[in-house]
Amino acid sequence: MLAIEGLRYSVDSNGSRRDIIPNLSYKFSKGKFYAITGPNGSGKTTLAKLIMGIYPASAGSITLAGVKITDMPIHERARAGIAYSFQHPARFKGITFRELIAIAANTNETTDILRLMKRVGICSFAHLNVPVDSKLSGGEIKKIELATTIARNPKIAIYDEPDTGIDLWTIEPMVKLLKNEQQTRGVTTVVVSHNRAFLEAADTVLIMREGSFFFAGTFSAALPYLNDISVCDYRTCGDRTYDECFR
Amino acid sequence: MIIELVGIGHTMSVLDNLDKELLKAVADLEAIPKGAFNIRKNGELWGRESSANIEIASKANKAGIVITIKPNTRNESVHIPVILSQAGLYDVVENDFIVGANSNVVIIAGCGIHCGSKESRGHAGLHSFHLEENARVRYIEKHLAIGEGQGKRALNPTTRVKLEEGASLDMELTQLGGVDEALRINEVILEKGAALQMTERVMTEERQSATSKTVISLVGAGAHANMISRSVIRGDSLQTFSALMEALAPCLGHIECDAIIMDRGKNETIPSLKVLHPEAELTHEASIGKIADEQLMKLMSLGLSYEEAVSKIIQSFLK
Repeated sequence: MLAIEGLRYSVDSNGSRRDIIPNLSYKFSKGKFYAITGPNGSGKTTLAKLIMGIYPASAGSITLAGVKITDMPIHERARAGIAYSFQHPARFKGITFRELIAIAANTNETTDILRLMKRVGICSFAHLNVPVDSKLSGGEIKKIELATTIARNPKIAIYDEPDTGIDLWTIEPMVKLLKNEQQTRGVTTVVVSHNRAFLEAADTVLIMREGSFFFAGTFSAALPYLNDISVCDYRTCGDRTYDECFR
Repeated sequence: MIIELVGIGHTMSVLDNLDKELLKAVADLEAIPKGAFNIRKNGELWGRESSANIEIASKANKAGIVITIKPNTRNESVHIPVILSQAGLYDVVENDFIVGANSNVVIIAGCGIHCGSKESRGHAGLHSFHLEENARVRYIEKHLAIGEGQGKRALNPTTRVKLEEGASLDMELTQLGGVDEALRINEVILEKGAALQMTERVMTEERQSATSKTVISLVGAGAHANMISRSVIRGDSLQTFSALMEALAPCLGHIECDAIIMDRGKNETIPSLKVLHPEAELTHEASIGKIADEQLMKLMSLGLSYEEAVSKIIQSFLK
C-alpha cells in the first residue's frame, strides 16, 4: 500500500545538516492499523508530515499503491488517497465546520454531510454552522479534524496524536471509530500516539527512536520496550541520571 | 442588450447590463425591490418608491434624501443603492435616516462605479442615522468599482449614528474591490442600553489605498459595542485602520481587527481604547500577517490546490 524506501529528512543546524530521519524504510500493508510511538523528538510527526508532503524528503522515495508520490505536492497526495489529521488543527476566521466537511467530502449535499457527521459520531448538528475558529475548545476542534479526515474516504489515513485535548471518556469511542473505518472500509490507518488505547488497537506497533523504527510488532511484544525508560533519548540531564529526568 | 426593469414609481428609464451588474453586486437587486427604494444613477434619481411606513423624500437644498421610518415598523426593508458610470462625475449626497421607536428594519445601501475611460469618478455619501428608542436596524453597505478604464475610482463614505436608549444597529460595511481611493469615516454614539455590531471588510489590490477611521462613544450605562475589521491587502496596496472606542459609563466594548497581507501590501492598524468610567470594560485584539501556513496545509490536505486554498481563505475571511 505505502512503501517508504531510504527516506531521509535533514535540517540546517548551526551551519551543518542534522538528520531528523536518517534512513528509514518500511512498508505499510493495505487495510492494517499501525500505531507509531516513541519519545518526544524521535521523528514521529516528521515522518507523518513527510508522507503527507508537508515536509519535503531530502532523499529516498515514497510510493502509494505503486505510484511514486515523493515529489507530489500535498493536494495531489490528498487526491491520490492520503488523508492527514493534524495534531494542532488549523483555525479559520469565517470557515464553518460545514464548509470544511463539504470540501473534505467534495459534496454540498446536506444529507451527505449529515450522514458523515453521524458516521463520525458528531450528534449535535448545531455545530454545522459554527466557524472553525479560536472560540472552539481543543476537544471540539480535534473532533472536527477527525471528521474531515474520515470524510476524505482515504486509502490511508494518518492521525497525528488524535487524542490531544480529548477527554478521557471520548478516547475509547475514538479508537472504536478508527478501528471501524479500518475494518469496514479497509482504510490503512496510521496513528501517531502515546496513548495505550491506540497502541492496543493496532495490528502493528512501531516504536521510533532517533528517526528510525527500532521495533515493529504486536502490542504485547512491544510492552517490554514501552516499560523500559532507557528507550528515552535523554540519557543524561545535567548531573541527574536519566530515570530522574523530567524531560 | 438593454434590460428594462419595470416597476411602479416615477422617472423610470432603462438600465443597461452594466447598471444591472452593479446593482446586483452592491444591493443584490435583479429587479425592482419590494417595499421602499431609492435608486440613484449618475448623480440623479433613477427611481423611487415609498411605502406605507417608510417615506423617502428629497432634500430641499442639497443632493440627498430623508428616509423616515414610522415607529413600530416591522420586517420591512429599504434599498438605496447608487450607481455611477459617468466620466468625470464626483457625486456627493447627504442622506438622513430617522428610524422610529420599536421599529425593526433592514436598510441596504451601497455604491457601484463603472469606469471605462481615463477620467476619474467617485462618490461621497454622508449617512446620518437617528435610531429612536428600541429601534433595531440591520444596515448593509457594499462598495465596488469595475471596468477597464484607467480613471481613478474614489468612494468616500461617512456614517454618523446616534442610538437612543435600547436601540441596536448591526452594520455590515464592505468594500469588495476595484476602488482606488477610499476614506471611510464612522462615528457612533450609544445611549443607555444601546447596542452596536459593526463589521467592516475591505479588500485592496494593485496600488489602491483605503483609510478607515472610526470613533465609537459609549455614553449610556449598559451600552455595548463590538467592532470587527477584516482587511485583505494585496499587490502594492495600502490600508490604514484606526478605531477609537471610548466609554463614559458602565458599558462593554470590543474591537477586533485582523488583516491578511499578501504580496507587498502594507497595513497600519491602530485600535484605541479610552475608558472614562471605572466600571467600563473595553478590550481589543489585533493581528496582521500573511495567511497562516497551517491553514494552507489543512485545506491542501483536503485536496485543494495552493491557489484554491488561498482563494477559500480570503473569501471566507471577508464573508
